[in-house]
Amino acid sequence: MKKIIALLLCAMTFFLFGCGSDSKTADKGDEQVLNLFSWADNFSPEVLADFEKKYHCKINYDVFANNEELLAKIQAGGSRYDVIQPSDYMVATMKKLDLLEPLDKSKMPNTANLIKSLQTPAYDPDGKYSVVYTWGVTGIVYNPKHVKKAPTSWADLWNPEDKGRISLLNDNREVIGMALKKNGYSVNSKDKAQLETAVKDLRLLAPNVLAFDTDTIKQKFIANEAWIGQMWSGDASFTHKDNPDIAFVIPKEGAVIWADTFAIPKGAKHKELAEKFINYMYDPKVSAKNYEYIGYNDPNEKSESYHSDAYNKDPMLKAARDYITKGEWIEDIGDTLTQYDRYWTELKTGK
Amino acid sequence: MQQKTWRSHVLLAYSLAVLAFLYLPLVILALYSFNDSRINAVWTGFTFKWYEQLFHNRRVLEALTNTLIVGAISTVVSTSLGTIAAIALHRYKYKMQNAINGLLYLPILIPEIVMGLSLLVLFSQFKVPLGKGSLIIAHITFCLSFVVITVGARLDGMRADFEQAASDLYATPFQCFRYVTLPLIMPGIVAGALIAFTLSIDDFVISFFVAGPNSTTLPLYIYAMVKRGISPEINALSTLMIGAEILLVLLAECLQPSHKAKEED
Amino acid sequence: MNKNGKLLIAPSLAWLSIFFVIPMLIVVAVSFASRTTYGQVVFNWTLDNYIRFVEPLYISIFIQTLVVALITTVITILMGYPLAYMIAQLPKKWQQPGLILCMIPFWINFLIRSYAWVIILRTQGVLNTLLLKAGIIDMPIQMLYNEGAVMLGMVYALLPFMILPIYVSIEQLDRRLLEAASDLGAGPFTAFRKITLPLTMPGVAAGTILVFISSLGMFVVPDVMGGAKSALVGNLIQNQFLSARDWPFGASLSIVLAVLSLVLIILYYKAIQAQKGGERDAAKDVA
Repeated sequence: MKKIIALLLCAMTFFLFGCGSDSKTADKGDEQVLNLFSWADNFSPEVLADFEKKYHCKINYDVFANNEELLAKIQAGGSRYDVIQPSDYMVATMKKLDLLEPLDKSKMPNTANLIKSLQTPAYDPDGKYSVVYTWGVTGIVYNPKHVKKAPTSWADLWNPEDKGRISLLNDNREVIGMALKKNGYSVNSKDKAQLETAVKDLRLLAPNVLAFDTDTIKQKFIANEAWIGQMWSGDASFTHKDNPDIAFVIPKEGAVIWADTFAIPKGAKHKELAEKFINYMYDPKVSAKNYEYIGYNDPNEKSESYHSDAYNKDPMLKAARDYITKGEWIEDIGDTLTQYDRYWTELKTGK
Repeated sequence: MQQKTWRSHVLLAYSLAVLAFLYLPLVILALYSFNDSRINAVWTGFTFKWYEQLFHNRRVLEALTNTLIVGAISTVVSTSLGTIAAIALHRYKYKMQNAINGLLYLPILIPEIVMGLSLLVLFSQFKVPLGKGSLIIAHITFCLSFVVITVGARLDGMRADFEQAASDLYATPFQCFRYVTLPLIMPGIVAGALIAFTLSIDDFVISFFVAGPNSTTLPLYIYAMVKRGISPEINALSTLMIGAEILLVLLAECLQPSHKAKEED
Repeated sequence: MNKNGKLLIAPSLAWLSIFFVIPMLIVVAVSFASRTTYGQVVFNWTLDNYIRFVEPLYISIFIQTLVVALITTVITILMGYPLAYMIAQLPKKWQQPGLILCMIPFWINFLIRSYAWVIILRTQGVLNTLLLKAGIIDMPIQMLYNEGAVMLGMVYALLPFMILPIYVSIEQLDRRLLEAASDLGAGPFTAFRKITLPLTMPGVAAGTILVFISSLGMFVVPDVMGGAKSALVGNLIQNQFLSARDWPFGASLSIVLAVLSLVLIILYYKAIQAQKGGERDAAKDVA
């Protein structure tokens, strides 16, 4: 019996050891590897393949579904990624936590093609740590077949006629921020009284809500489940293609602008290749090919002539583009986040 | 007697209804894998294109391979470890019986995200590189308790007299285990392994935190896709998997009789 | 030999000590820490996170979660027991395939299956369309994004954890006991209640624990099927890590949840043990 146990223990250690060394060799074997950590389906597969061919390298494309997951992994260290894609406020946080490598823009000349106002966003004022990749504006999407009067204000979400057909994003900052905007405040408000006003409004809205949803909201509008709600401009454009009835408007009180970016984490092993990759993505022709596939707003100023007519004329993307300098960024609000979470929990429990 | 058949008909009907409940979403899933729409909200037309694209999608196929490798290894290891532990617990009295039981139950009580994060912290502290290895370790850890509980349930209901008889007949403990205990608890072990495999190939919360470059599994891939809309390629893949699994089960059954006859000889 | 045999437990204990106990000690430590402005953890040994929990908002969430978990468990028993019984009645050779046939749906990604339910249940979905065509209803029913839908999703996700353990214990039931009972004039219902049920209790108990505990921590189902409109403990914990960036509070909530579950399990086992004693005597009376 002792023998069996000894054998088992041996097998266990052997197994652990074996697995450890296995993943090490995978990393050492090929110098030309780019470890990319991003949202899923965030690139045209052809563009990635073109890059691999041009620079004789292999892209390891791993995915995350939430900024905080990205943060946890980068913070823990040892995750070995070369290019990551944090969203706007997460860039600010990672910068403060000293997790990002400053970018040498001279090695990425194409990033100068970026729309000017996106080169100096509030979360990264000198554009030293990040480059905007996808961006958009959160507005109101609605179906004119069911919503007779075209909405112009966030307050139109409170219309009792749409009860049970309203969708809100499943994100405390976006929803509470929207209610703050409705009352004319900043989406980054830390003022207790302003927050109370916003949450009071939301308590009235909550019972009318069909669902809080960020991920499958497109399906809800295509299948006519939801009639009116918050949506990102890029998703609205997507939804429009499958349900031509859908319309999109940026309310008069103003709206949130957001972006997912490119950044290089501290200690990236293949920094040079990462720089080449980022530079490559802002080549106007590459850019056009890439954004035609992903369908979001192209942040590249020089690529318009390479895009298809349909893309350039897309009403949702155009609405976002016209609004670009006016949007407000969601910023890291530090400790007040705990307060937002508490309000959020209260709203969900109907208290 | 007639009453009995009446009752068994009701039981059969009820079971089939439950089975239909289990399979209904799969039917829809298979149907929608032929849907032309990228976003798959409403039916727009019939197409085979997702199946074609699937076979050119390197990332999905890699993810599938990773999932199966991790699932197979962690099922085998956790089932062996768990079965041995369940037998030991059943047979012997330990001084710290309650503490041991508690330890074996605790992993299912801890929310997945906490387990994932704490393993991430552990691995990064001890410089264990994140990859398939760390993934397998994590999967074994959360499968283990499920196996112990399932096999334990079998042992609890087992009659002790068989083992007693065998040992009275001078069977060595090993013989007793190999020829008496093991066959008796086999259904429990199979059930435990099935649970472990099911958990492993569908886990994403814990996997996310302990996976590294080159070890993306199917659930990780799918969950990350949600933001942009899950590609119908995944429906196509799922449909093929269901088909393959059912085929395998039937095939295994057709092959079994000859195998069994041999054993009886 | 006996002593050596006892060591059989060692590999599992060693494994769990390294990969579970040590990480959990970290979690316990974090639950007594605080978060900084940017969400980092500072160890200042405080009870704040536990004190914060004790207030009506969070306690009501715990209670609601327990209720949902309880109903889910009862429904899975009602659905899983007969199916497991049926499989155990099949000829030996068909039992394993039957079992695997029940498991196949669960080898398809959970999220994909949940979205399939959404396609079936939504207002313009498969089920409403069928009911409308059949003339049973004249207006589509809102079946999704409510508590019923959450429950359905949970039952669907957790059913195999009930079916498998129950099957395992029914399969080993000595059928001669049932025959004896029937010979002695016990009706089928009495025989089931006095013999089958008590003897398959270990399976039901194991299944109950697996399902009940797993449903306590669920968070994807309330989001997808429930429209994220209710907050269950799983969502609350998830939020602390993935949106509020408050690891210490998340850690303390998890520990409260784990301790609570452990207490419930112990009470449950005690209750079963007590009942088992009673039932066994009754079974003897029948025999």
